Amino acid sequence: MDWNLLLAGFGKVMLNPVNLLFVFIGVTSGIIVGALPGLTATMGVALLIPFTFGLDPVQGLVMLVGLFTGGIYGACISSILIGIPGTPAGAATLLDGYTMNKKGQAGKAMGMAVIASWFGGTIGALIMTFASPQIAKVALEFGPPEFFSLAFFGLGIIITVSGKSILKGLISGIFGLMLPLVGFDPLSGAPRFTFGSMELLGGITLIPALIGLFGYSQVFQGIEKILILPAVKTELKNLIPKLSEIKSVIPTMLKSSLFGVFIGAVPGTGTDIAAFVSYGEAKRSSKHPERFGTGILEGVAAPESGNNACAGGAMVPMLTLGVPGDAVTAVLMGALTIHNFQPGPMLFRDHPQVVYPIFAAMILAQFVMLFVGLGGAQFFARMINIDRRILTPIIFLLCVVGSYAMRFSFFDVGVSLIIGIIAYFMNYYGYPGSPILLSIILGPMVEQNLRRSLIISHGDPTIFFTRPISVAFIIIGIFIMITSYYRVKKAMDREAQSSSAQEKEEAN
Amino acid sequence: MKRVDIGVGVGLLILSVWLFWYAGKYRDLTVHVYGPDLFPRILAGIMMLLALGLIVNAFLGRCLKKEDSIDPRGFLRVLVSIAICIGYLFLTNVLGFATSTFVFLFVLMTLLKQKGIILRIGASMAASLIVWAIFRYFLVIPLPEGWLI
Repeated sequence: MDWNLLLAGFGKVMLNPVNLLFVFIGVTSGIIVGALPGLTATMGVALLIPFTFGLDPVQGLVMLVGLFTGGIYGACISSILIGIPGTPAGAATLLDGYTMNKKGQAGKAMGMAVIASWFGGTIGALIMTFASPQIAKVALEFGPPEFFSLAFFGLGIIITVSGKSILKGLISGIFGLMLPLVGFDPLSGAPRFTFGSMELLGGITLIPALIGLFGYSQVFQGIEKILILPAVKTELKNLIPKLSEIKSVIPTMLKSSLFGVFIGAVPGTGTDIAAFVSYGEAKRSSKHPERFGTGILEGVAAPESGNNACAGGAMVPMLTLGVPGDAVTAVLMGALTIHNFQPGPMLFRDHPQVVYPIFAAMILAQFVMLFVGLGGAQFFARMINIDRRILTPIIFLLCVVGSYAMRFSFFDVGVSLIIGIIAYFMNYYGYPGSPILLSIILGPMVEQNLRRSLIISHGDPTIFFTRPISVAFIIIGIFIMITSYYRVKKAMDREAQSSSAQEKEEAN
Repeated sequence: MKRVDIGVGVGLLILSVWLFWYAGKYRDLTVHVYGPDLFPRILAGIMMLLALGLIVNAFLGRCLKKEDSIDPRGFLRVLVSIAICIGYLFLTNVLGFATSTFVFLFVLMTLLKQKGIILRIGASMAASLIVWAIFRYFLVIPLPEGWLI
């Protein structure tokens, strides 16, 4: 850990009012995006990236980090106030948060949520700050076989994010690996799959693909369904819990934060898994597990600290290894790449002036979120009432502008629209979008390092199995694939059993 | 879901076979043995196996249950909105970004049956001007120009 660089990074963010302003804008935008059901932090970051093109890279990145932080907290607002999670990360908070609302304690639930989010997020950010440089030092020793195995490990996570059908998840993943084939071959420079088109020479760029996957597809679903949400009429009182109440949940928040960081650091898992695991563990280890679900502060504190800590954890593999920890960090990787910074160990060596401000912004964003979350609670509650028939067209517009702004190209808008239409149908027929995202990010890394390794070894594939770090990643990747497969299969069998039991009951 | 899975499986099978064949054209482009054709062919092979798996699963009745279906009227709205978007892209170069965006938003809000014409006009105007101003003056990113702004 280079303390001088860390202090310089903090100074760059905190002593520059413009950078502070961007963190504030990012956190506030993130809370709004997270609070609105149907919008996700992933979509918010993808749509905000084009707005960073004209900015200094540090300003753009601190704003995106702020949005990431705010988006995870924001999900609990609609969970608590209307019983609908703003994003999957807020689903666990609903269990006790909405019940507290029904008991007239909405204000206390919101206050506890923001305090727990701040607590977990700060722990996650601190662990990210101190662990990342050490991991990056180790990663500097990696060669092409290690990077290939690492990417293989990252792709193995596809099974975890496949949802109900692993086969369809793998199909999505392989489809995602095919998209980066268009354009120039990374090693020889030969054009591939361009069919003589000048536009395709530049390939299918990441941001239009992301906007298609997570922007347009959601917009089309919004247009198809025109979601009507219950109005928020709650008056938020007594926002801050008593000091004794906060003290009583500190052990829960600490444990959940550590769970969250660990889960975030595993590529492919996300804040929703962190939230549920934290909630489940808090309930399991509680002296009164029967109280969970009846509207208690631990039931809000555990998932909120877990999911916000997960954000810091997810940034670790993204920054140090170039493997995203979750969907949002995958999009953040795209943002770094667009600003000509390649995530991975070289980022720490060649561009510490970018890395340390990101650490500082992540820590600062937690305090901004605490301040904005407590001060603006009533305002954010009212935001949920925005008419979807006004909001959806505006998001559609942001998708068009976002996909255009990268290369000033209507071609990119067209590609983005086509991917959006495909993703819209994919959602209905059980093909998940997250594997495509993972594959688009990791695909070039897999191909380049596979071919480089085979060239180095003169075609001998044992190069991947004779280097210890490479073997370790392959073994861990296979282990995660096998355990994820059995976990998904178990969940599917359980669901099949409960639905056939339900059918038998109804028949009787 | 069975018919869709079989259809998708056949489509992916055709795509994989085509990809495997087409990638062969890149084999002689470089001196490397592991050239631009290697990875596409690996992917094509894997996709062929997955597509066959999907078709076999469908015939064996192991399809996922459809949890939600597309509302036909809603889908028609989606198609119309895509057509409006394509029209908007053409109009941008004629009228300019801000003006065509105002028209685009207003038409979309009308399509979604947003009642209150004053609110529709106000929201469309505000959103298009704000986005235009941010890109023009704050980010200094050029947007399409036409007869108007």
